Amino acid sequence: MIQHRFRIALIAALTLASQIGLAAPMAAQDATPTAGVEVKQIAVVTPSSRTNQGWDQQAADAVDAVAKKNGIEAVVAENSGYDDITPILRDLGAGGASLIICHASGYQTVCPEFAAESNVPVAVIENPDAVSPGLVSDIETQAQEVAYLAGILAGKTTTTGTVGVVVSGEPPTWNYMTVGFAEGLKAAKSDAKMLYSVIGEAAYDDAAGAKRVTEQQLAADADVIFGMGDGASFGMLQAIEEHNAQDGANKAWFIDVIGDKKAEHGDALLSSVLFDYTGIYQQMVDDLKAGAFGKIYTMDVKNGGVRLLELPEDVAQETKDAVADAEKSIVDGSLTVSAISDAEEMKAKVAELFPQ
Amino acid sequence: MTIGGVPAIAFVTAILAAAFVAAVPLVIAALGEAVGEKAGLLNLGIEGMMLSGAFFGFQTAYQTGNAASGILAGLVTGLVLGLIFAILTISLRVDQVLVGLAITIFGGGMTAFLYRDIFGGQNPSLSLNTPRVPIPLLDRIPILGSSLFNQQLLFYLAIALVPLFAFLLARTRFGLNVRAVGENPFAADAAGVNVIRTRYLAALIAGAMAGLAGAYLSVADLKIFQVGMTVGAGFIALALTMVGGWNPWRILIASVLFGLLRSLGNGLQILGIDVRAEFVNMLPYIGIMVALALLAGRTSLPAALGVPYARGRR
Repeated sequence: MIQHRFRIALIAALTLASQIGLAAPMAAQDATPTAGVEVKQIAVVTPSSRTNQGWDQQAADAVDAVAKKNGIEAVVAENSGYDDITPILRDLGAGGASLIICHASGYQTVCPEFAAESNVPVAVIENPDAVSPGLVSDIETQAQEVAYLAGILAGKTTTTGTVGVVVSGEPPTWNYMTVGFAEGLKAAKSDAKMLYSVIGEAAYDDAAGAKRVTEQQLAADADVIFGMGDGASFGMLQAIEEHNAQDGANKAWFIDVIGDKKAEHGDALLSSVLFDYTGIYQQMVDDLKAGAFGKIYTMDVKNGGVRLLELPEDVAQETKDAVADAEKSIVDGSLTVSAISDAEEMKAKVAELFPQ
Repeated sequence: MTIGGVPAIAFVTAILAAAFVAAVPLVIAALGEAVGEKAGLLNLGIEGMMLSGAFFGFQTAYQTGNAASGILAGLVTGLVLGLIFAILTISLRVDQVLVGLAITIFGGGMTAFLYRDIFGGQNPSLSLNTPRVPIPLLDRIPILGSSLFNQQLLFYLAIALVPLFAFLLARTRFGLNVRAVGENPFAADAAGVNVIRTRYLAALIAGAMAGLAGAYLSVADLKIFQVGMTVGAGFIALALTMVGGWNPWRILIASVLFGLLRSLGNGLQILGIDVRAEFVNMLPYIGIMVALALLAGRTSLPAALGVPYARGRR
């Protein structure tokens, strides 16, 4: 009986621990450089589904496109989660991957370790310190620049003066964009109120949680929601569409990230922050062949790696002009958007811009 | 009137409504699990059953354009998985923990595969009309009226399951048999109770409720399917079953409190109260752990929970 009760207690404890999401960080190691290589296969590891019309799908689609263009094999290891992906990396390495894209900031440490152990080149997200010639490259996304444009758009669109930001976690990319969005919103409407909600620790697929949080922001008078959620974004859209369907409701808009949901949700979608990885993945393949792999690749507004989805026709010309002006200023360097990746620093910046 | 600069009544109503709606799938799944556990069956496959119910419910509703058929499909999916669980654990006496975990992993993989295979890169949503049905007079109660008495029909039906299950477990012969086989199947057998049949029925009810809970999520609430969309709701329902002491009313209270803690946490963030998001998101889980700790020693697990039964073999 004691054993039986112990087993029940153990299961309950494991269940709850898995919900809170405990994870142990791993230490970084030095890497060994390699020379130019023949590229036969490009692989990408994504934390969630490759069809989420968001973060994961953008990378998977880009890998497919680059593989097709170069006549090489593409492998997508999707739904890999946020725990230790070393077994997946080893499988990909054993399967002949010439390059593995580690498409989550949570893989920043484990992938360079694997590269050092296996000599298989990897690319990581937002970890410039891990760069190692021939072995580890880093992808830096100046997402704050395009989020600034989204903030301008939101500030010019809101009629209530309240704008919401809903995030499915606080990874560096989301934090960069939150700050960029806040600065753009402040620039476009200095007296705006910005609400900020985190759905969960790593709630990238929690559409139900996203819906509840968005409903609460709408009830708090927000009429533009900037949502960073991956699969969870569908819950945000559902909340906005249900809100708009109510009699007499003030129309609310959604600004999405990393995906184009215009076809299915055009009525509620104001725009989307788009990431296009195709260019830098192709550059990585070229650099691997030339022995130049192992550096920082940057996606920004200037090189078109990040951009806003084309605005709907009924957006006022004044708003379109304001967004275009801001974009021009970012490209010519006359406007610099703050780049903050740390969650606490991001919140401090938002609080400074929008004191409660 | 405002709270922290946001409209007070609309905001509090939204917080309460979110708590109630979030509680519904947990209540449904936990009610089924309570019947299963009372009969001595620990079903860790509840998460996979919910996910499967969500997928087949969504797929059916998408094909037929009918919410009721989707809900029914989710229930039947859970029933089938409940039957598989029953065959493996009751007839073949395979370890319940292993079978449950296997069903959870299977449910996750199968639904991801089928969703991808059927819908490709699309993420369609259901164009269903599931209007809110205000309950006359009650819907006029300030705040509570809009949050509790102005919901979809399925919401009320789900809540109606609570007294139904309370009656089933406490006032019927079947309920008595369930409790008997969960405490001492040998004694129950000696008293003439068909242990195998009772446990089979309990497993089927548990499975059906898990499937129904999943279908509620995908068909009634979100009108979409997402790979892994239950995000641990099955495991939370499992914990709420124990927190509620296998009593349907207490399960309802525990589920609403869990939903309320989540909802309040989100509300605090919106009001700009300076609490770390990690702490806010931990609140409902801390609540469960505190409740489990407080209840330790006050409630006793069904004595034969997780123990396979074979006549003549003690």
